[in-house]
Amino acid sequence: MQRSGPLHTLLAGLVLALIMLSLNATTEPPAADAKGGAPPSPAAPSAPPSSAAPAPRSPAASPTATATAPRPDADYAGRTGDGAASVAIALRDDGKAVAYVCDGRAKEAWLRGDVGDDGGMRLTGDRGARLEGTLEGGRVTGEVRLTGLEQPFTARRAVKPSGLYRAAASVRGARVVGGWIVLPNGKQVGIVSRDGEPSAAPAIDPATGAVTVDGTRLTARPIP
Amino acid sequence: MNVDPNAATTSFPAPPPRPTPRAAVFLVPALAAAAVAVALGAYGRVHDPAGTAFNLAGFSSTGAVKSWLATAAFAFALVQIASALVMYGKVPGVRAPSWTGGLHRWSGRVAFLLSVPVAVHCLYALGYQTYSSRVLWHSLLGCFFFGTFTAKMLLLRTERLPDRLLPVIGGLVFTALTVLWLTSALWFFRTVGVTT
Repeated sequence: MQRSGPLHTLLAGLVLALIMLSLNATTEPPAADAKGGAPPSPAAPSAPPSSAAPAPRSPAASPTATATAPRPDADYAGRTGDGAASVAIALRDDGKAVAYVCDGRAKEAWLRGDVGDDGGMRLTGDRGARLEGTLEGGRVTGEVRLTGLEQPFTARRAVKPSGLYRAAASVRGARVVGGWIVLPNGKQVGIVSRDGEPSAAPAIDPATGAVTVDGTRLTARPIP
Repeated sequence: MNVDPNAATTSFPAPPPRPTPRAAVFLVPALAAAAVAVALGAYGRVHDPAGTAFNLAGFSSTGAVKSWLATAAFAFALVQIASALVMYGKVPGVRAPSWTGGLHRWSGRVAFLLSVPVAVHCLYALGYQTYSSRVLWHSLLGCFFFGTFTAKMLLLRTERLPDRLLPVIGGLVFTALTVLWLTSALWFFRTVGVTT
């Protein structure tokens, strides 16, 4: 009798895990890609809320939403609801969006995806990072989720020199990728990751994009 | 069944002396442990991380929930170590009270069950990752922890194990959990802050 205790323990853990997995799978927001293998369904072009969820890591796969009304290149920048992180979204005139989320210390994510006709966007990044937002009235509002960070955000139209900057280079054998968000008030937040290890970034000169990382001078380019 | 102890031995080939710990006794738990660890790692690697999973009310983020669950599991794991030391008579001057075994079993169960939701979230939302040494060790040991725990549970069902086997396996489970906690919950509390 007592000897079956360990088996019951294992079974209880297994059952608990299965329950939680099924809860995850069912309570997931309409994300059809939650189960990994599901192909991105080509959504009807006029479906109101952007339902064409591109599969992670292949954001360009969705065939829809490319031939939309041209929207000029534009940057939007702002902060998350708790003020802890900054968000910048660069919209290109071909309907693609690149976003960068960063807390200036350790958490960052680059995200990509399409912008729908209605201004809705659902961007994805590495390690499950997500950004869902809507462009309306000159600003993007939405929610961003990455590891250790789930926050609503508002990003306003950012005119140069404010906006999103990126630098990528090889510095002393390390792959260095830097991202900076220059907010409309002139403040900037950035992270430099060396071989994937993030840390606070030195400030850039927004006028020229010049920045010195580990003694090497780089140029951060504005996006788009 | 009555057997005359003085009866002459038969000419049947004598049954081989029962090898006390038969190979299967170790093989099955070892294979099960390997299967669990590899399956978890493979799932985490192959499955596209969902990035999110449902959160508990009252917590600011899933990271906070997981950190607190892991911390609670680690606290129960400390109870495990203490009760095991007492049971094995390793604490001078302390005779194991009769309830030590129950305490050990139930604290272990609670610790394990607390760790399961954390692992489910890790594997479902984040997956097996290798992008930094902290993350790599966490991923590796996460799989190792559940494999070793499975082995220990299966070994417990057998009588007459080598004296040191359970303490060694239990020690491995505890060490794995400790490193898991250091590379996740402690890291979270230090980088994000002690939040709920």
